[in-house]
Amino acid sequence: MNRFIILLLIICSVLPVFAADFWLTQILSRSIILGVMALSLTFLTAYLGVVSFAQVTLAGIAGYTIAYFSANTAGIGAELPWVFAVLLALFFSTIAGALVGLIARQSVGIYSIMITLAISMAFFYFTRQNYSVFNGWTGFSGISAPSVMGLDLGAPVVFYYVCLFTGALATLFVVKFSSSPLGLSIQGVRDAARRVRAIGIPTSPVIVSAYAFSGLIAGMAGILNVWHQERVSSFSVGLGPTIDVLIISVIGGMRHPLGAFIGAITYVMIDTFAIDLISRDRFNTVIGLVLLLIVIAAPEGILGILKSVKERIKKIVLN
Amino acid sequence: MKFFFIVFFNGLTLAALYFIAACGFTLIFGLMRTVNMAHGALLLLGAYVGYEVVEITGLWTVGIIAGGLTSAIVGAAIQAYILGRYQGDELRQTLITIAISIIMADLMLWAWGGLTYQISLPEMLLGGVRLPILNVGYSSVRLTLMAMAAVTGILLWLLIAKTKLGIIIRAGVDDREMLQALGFETKKIFVIVFAIGGMLTGMAGVITGSALSIAPGTDMQFLLSSLVVVIVGGMGSIGGAALGALLIGMAEQYGLAYAPTYGVVFTFVIMIAVLAIRPQGLLGRSEK
Amino acid sequence: MMDSQLLKIEKLNVFHGSSHTLQDIDVSMGNKPKAILGRNGMGKTTLCSALVGLTKMASGHVFLERHDISLFPPEQRAKAGIGYVPQGRRMFRSLSVLEHLKLVERKNTNWPIDRIFSIFPRLAERKSNMGDRLSGGEQQMLAISRALMLDPKLMIMDEPTEGLAPTIVDDVTELLLSLQAEGIGLLLVEQNISVALEAAEDILIMVNGRIINEVKADTLKDNPEMQQEYLGITFSD
Repeated sequence: MNRFIILLLIICSVLPVFAADFWLTQILSRSIILGVMALSLTFLTAYLGVVSFAQVTLAGIAGYTIAYFSANTAGIGAELPWVFAVLLALFFSTIAGALVGLIARQSVGIYSIMITLAISMAFFYFTRQNYSVFNGWTGFSGISAPSVMGLDLGAPVVFYYVCLFTGALATLFVVKFSSSPLGLSIQGVRDAARRVRAIGIPTSPVIVSAYAFSGLIAGMAGILNVWHQERVSSFSVGLGPTIDVLIISVIGGMRHPLGAFIGAITYVMIDTFAIDLISRDRFNTVIGLVLLLIVIAAPEGILGILKSVKERIKKIVLN
Repeated sequence: MKFFFIVFFNGLTLAALYFIAACGFTLIFGLMRTVNMAHGALLLLGAYVGYEVVEITGLWTVGIIAGGLTSAIVGAAIQAYILGRYQGDELRQTLITIAISIIMADLMLWAWGGLTYQISLPEMLLGGVRLPILNVGYSSVRLTLMAMAAVTGILLWLLIAKTKLGIIIRAGVDDREMLQALGFETKKIFVIVFAIGGMLTGMAGVITGSALSIAPGTDMQFLLSSLVVVIVGGMGSIGGAALGALLIGMAEQYGLAYAPTYGVVFTFVIMIAVLAIRPQGLLGRSEK
Repeated sequence: MMDSQLLKIEKLNVFHGSSHTLQDIDVSMGNKPKAILGRNGMGKTTLCSALVGLTKMASGHVFLERHDISLFPPEQRAKAGIGYVPQGRRMFRSLSVLEHLKLVERKNTNWPIDRIFSIFPRLAERKSNMGDRLSGGEQQMLAISRALMLDPKLMIMDEPTEGLAPTIVDDVTELLLSLQAEGIGLLLVEQNISVALEAAEDILIMVNGRIINEVKADTLKDNPEMQQEYLGITFSD
């Protein structure tokens, strides 16, 4: 698998040579951003065993932080050097993740879905009502990615590399974190909360830190997202994007971090090209059917399908 | 003081609507541990069908029955053909109902467009009454709404507490396996429960479309309100749903009246507080 | 005398994950009660659960009166004539005593509610109590009644005397003996060896998921070494 990831990275890094700006920005960069957002959910589901609807909220908190501390057309906030804005954004999304974990620490299964859904909806309504920090439902626009030493990070090719780097970094974080001692206790909590408690590890800090880590990953996506969209508003943290991220994770498969990116590219491709398949207006029907099919026929997502195809080929080759 | 009471009655009306809308959801969750995320879509479908039937026949009662029946049939079909195969796999069921709600919402948008509809009420409900003592005008629709909530609650309670089907449903909630071992085909019972839940939800849709109005987005609005009502009150408990609806309805109206900026947020704060302190809901029983 | 065949289990296997919980179980019984003895964790409860259809059988067959019911779901097995009194009684906690009985009441049953109440006057006294608000003995009476009202051909009882006071244990034992007179077969799983020896003539010994021996109750009764070997009984409880 690792060799495969390195190969994939090499392919991805030469893509700008061939791909037009539209592809780089609207398909590839967007897929990576959504992929990182989905990765923060995949991490929680795969390693802690809970499904969270709050990941878009966490990403949104990072996005709002960037918007607040950058030049924007809303006239709210204070401009800070971009490095500080980024650090603050990651800090807030991580803290917010920890808070979500604190509230949801006793819930598993459908209960964790419902409580995180409630948290995300509460945040959604809050951003619509609050004008002093979130500028109501219109939010912030006119935000652009910073220039670093004369290099405009927002230029299609450069932005693509920023996304690719962030995506690789987030994946590396998840892989390293999940094999760290804390990551292992998170998986211990997933498998047998009672037993972990019995050997003297209190479960709450473990759960809270898992959510906090997922907040960090979601925050990385949130920062890229606000640079990519050049705006952030209540719509960025509404029910629609929340469900989209869940769909992406499920379609891709939650067994491996790569699933999030496979799901994201699939989702973006359907979103972009459904117009050729069926009228553009029926995108939701298409994506709903895809989700239904995947959940029913391939609960481990596209990743699971690829794996079983690979095993079948192996069997044929061996015979 | 008068303002306070007006808000109180507004809260009561909203609570009645929330309660009616949440009944089907809590029934289905209570017995089957299925979080029916397509609840809002079933509600909206019932409302649209009710609207069409009322337009054609001019009879509101026929409309509410048609709306109820449509959602009952669709609900039963979802359970019989899709959800039933994954009984016990709650997460998968949740995802399936999310997918169904996305598809249904999109198809309904296709069929009925983005317009806002209002279902016309029978003439006898169009007037208003003056409440004694307070001397506040109050429309008959709102009183009817409360009466309907009371009737729905009582009928549902009677069904669950007094009938053989109710005994079977409660036994299924307590111990599904044991019920099976006593010769009951739980699959069939689940389809019936889904049909009853769908019926209630579709009728709630027609009531919503008459008391307020319906449009794309109504589905999500009432899915969320039902979710919150049922979580606050306690999953699967009718009394809990009533209490939850009352709390949320009041919180929303008093929030709107006294702190308009953050009215809606109150609702979710209540829910998060309840979940953090009493995860099974105010009147819910803890899991075994 | 030809004993008609009530229950036959052939090469029944059950797995829990990678552990082989039941291994090639073969049992054959007629109308005479049989008891299964064994220590904790030997697979007795899994066997009961597999027989009523609540645990998936990996392979093997179960015949009730020569009909293969191996593929039946639990509800059809119950209708075919298997009554189940589970370990821990498994009362419905939101049903009253009367509702428990109404749940399973049918027309033309040999065990109408009146008859149940005349056998167990205690239940009649407590008919509006909730299922989980009964004493252990009352719960057991209710669990047995609930199974009886289905007019079973075979009762499968999993540790019916567990946690009961000694006088109640005697009552339950007597009740088990009376089942035979009603023509109802009994497969009894017990930890309490004296109950098993009194209620059944044939004893199956279960160790690590296998039936390792079948002995007459009298033989086992007079053979403390055998008891010690199979059941590890060093004191009576």
